[in-house]
Amino acid sequence: MAETLDDILKRAAEHKVPRRSFLAAAGLLGGSAALAACGSGGSTSTAGASSGAGASAGASAAASAAASDAGTSFPPAGDVEKQLYMYNWSDYVSPKNMDAFKAKFGVEKFQYDTFANNEELLAKLQAGATGYDFTCPTAEYVPALVEGGYIQKLDWSRIPNATTMDPAFLNRPWDPNNEWLMPKDFGTTGILYRSKVVKEPVTTWTEFNDLIVGKYSGKTVFVDSMGDVFVMPLKMLGKSINSVEKADLDAARDILLTLAPHILALDSDTYQVKLASEEAVLCLGWTGPMVAMRADPKTADIMYSVPTDGTLFWLDTWVMLKDAPNPNATYAWFNFIEDPENQAEETNFNGYGTPNDAAKKFIDPAILNDPVFFPPEAAMANLEGAVDTSSNQQRIDIWQEFKSKIGS
Amino acid sequence: MAIASEHAAQGAERRGRSALLTTVLIAPAGLWYLVLLVAPLVIVTVFSFGNRARNGGYEAAFTLDNYVRLLTQPQRMEPFFTSLWMAVAGTIGCLLVGLPLAYFIATRARRRKGLLILMLVIPFWTSFLIRTYSWLILLGKDNLGGFIGGVIGDPEFRILGTPFAVLIGLVYGYLPLMVFPLYVTLERMDRTLVEASKDLGAARWATFRQVTLPIALPGLITGSILVFIPMMGEYVIPAILGYGRTFLMGNALVDAFIQTRNWPFGSAMAVLLIVIMLITISVYVWFVNRGRLGRDVSVL
Repeated sequence: MAETLDDILKRAAEHKVPRRSFLAAAGLLGGSAALAACGSGGSTSTAGASSGAGASAGASAAASAAASDAGTSFPPAGDVEKQLYMYNWSDYVSPKNMDAFKAKFGVEKFQYDTFANNEELLAKLQAGATGYDFTCPTAEYVPALVEGGYIQKLDWSRIPNATTMDPAFLNRPWDPNNEWLMPKDFGTTGILYRSKVVKEPVTTWTEFNDLIVGKYSGKTVFVDSMGDVFVMPLKMLGKSINSVEKADLDAARDILLTLAPHILALDSDTYQVKLASEEAVLCLGWTGPMVAMRADPKTADIMYSVPTDGTLFWLDTWVMLKDAPNPNATYAWFNFIEDPENQAEETNFNGYGTPNDAAKKFIDPAILNDPVFFPPEAAMANLEGAVDTSSNQQRIDIWQEFKSKIGS
Repeated sequence: MAIASEHAAQGAERRGRSALLTTVLIAPAGLWYLVLLVAPLVIVTVFSFGNRARNGGYEAAFTLDNYVRLLTQPQRMEPFFTSLWMAVAGTIGCLLVGLPLAYFIATRARRRKGLLILMLVIPFWTSFLIRTYSWLILLGKDNLGGFIGGVIGDPEFRILGTPFAVLIGLVYGYLPLMVFPLYVTLERMDRTLVEASKDLGAARWATFRQVTLPIALPGLITGSILVFIPMMGEYVIPAILGYGRTFLMGNALVDAFIQTRNWPFGSAMAVLLIVIMLITISVYVWFVNRGRLGRDVSVL
């Protein structure tokens, strides 16, 4: 049955969080959620709001002990400001939470501006003052923000709700002392497949590899993303996804060049279309399109596998900008959003896993046991965070060579 | 001519006022040109001699490394050549489709002229991205791709993901930019010249070659340049219709700026791209004009 343009566009639109999609910048998928506060309506009294923040600051002495060392002094807490400026990925924060926050703290204007990729965020900050209070880089970009002096350390005593973070996301190389970032959402790089066609098990990269070069040659899509594609050969070799060792990369190159002729497309933006039409039945990709594809009876057999031999997880993080004009409102928001119920609402809205353990009991068990949102235990143990390896010349050369051999 | 001589006869005072008016009127365009063309060009050129900062981006330096790397590694130059031949093929495609179309609208369509022009413009009301997406369906397995595959009996046959699909996308996307300049020149053509040519015994082809084509030439040059330049930098069409298999300059630039965050190297590619385009267009214009001069001389 022929697929109509309508179907495809609907799916593109439903593809809620076009993270990492370059074309999002071009406008179709972006749907830039400019949720500028329209109609201030019934804002509660400022006095009540600030006392709320004050109370949470007071109750959090215990939380601060672990994170903030004695040498760091933070400015004292003040009244929650009437406005707040957020710079974030599009459609990434629940409007319900934003409205509840405004009502609770008497914030009249909560501006939500969007960027399409980390590069755009970096460029904007490098270009000078932005007027934003906080933003949401992917974790491996945070060291660059620290080095550039664009963000400030977090005063954990003012975010007591953040004490229930899953330790798996703390003390990572991008923030070894947990000073700068608060984990927001995470996801994995994995394997999408049409289970009505692919009956074979696809639980490891090695199994995936054998299917690509064997039975499903010419029916596999890879996302067009260097960091994600390198995960596969390196994990097949049992190496770190971040390896820049020459021997490791030489071996990875052999695997990639063997794969290249069997790949249908390198595509980060429309791989769900190829999976829907069954032109591709296997895909190295992200969980983004899963929810929408399952909702459609024609593509409901789509499955997502987090390879048990290890894969990459990305982590988006809340960070506070150096010159945040509204620091008190920012802390109020950071604490508000880590409230377990609000955090569960975020996962329900944006379809990404929360790193906040306390939120899990408010999440539908069906979602909680779904590898799309939360990888199974076996896979979780082998997740590895990405560090920035994009400057490695050998990787760049292999990537270029791989690209030139796709499908040929 | 008459206007020009009248102008020259104006008094000095009047001339001063009109100079002021000219300045005022040109200022927005001049500013636009300065801010959006000259400044970025200068920045890109400066960046191309810099280093990649440790965390990506640009770090001030003076080095030729980026250019050396580009020019000495053959695989780095591949996207340039792929882009070049795709853009040339795309321009020829636009010409083959656009010239008859423009000729028809200008000379034969009569009352339907406005309607046809409107039909050319209407697609522009929709996002370029959506129009490119729609080709995914038209050329896909369920439609043209599958149909041709059925006819030739090859179930694996496909159009999408081939350079041909990219070419179709390019010609489709940029055709109006070729048609409009051609239409304008052909529309103003004095039809009696064609009649005169026929009266003097020239056959259809000879009339076309010796009368219509030279008249259409300015439009043809403008149209070719208008379609050639954006085709050289095209990113979306090869990414969507080419399945990332046809790797053009636009794609290489995205890799450099977004994936490896090596702005200086990307800038060097951009500068080289500009140089290649300038050379190509100069050669083209020179070639076409030489042909015209040659004909003018032979007529004398």
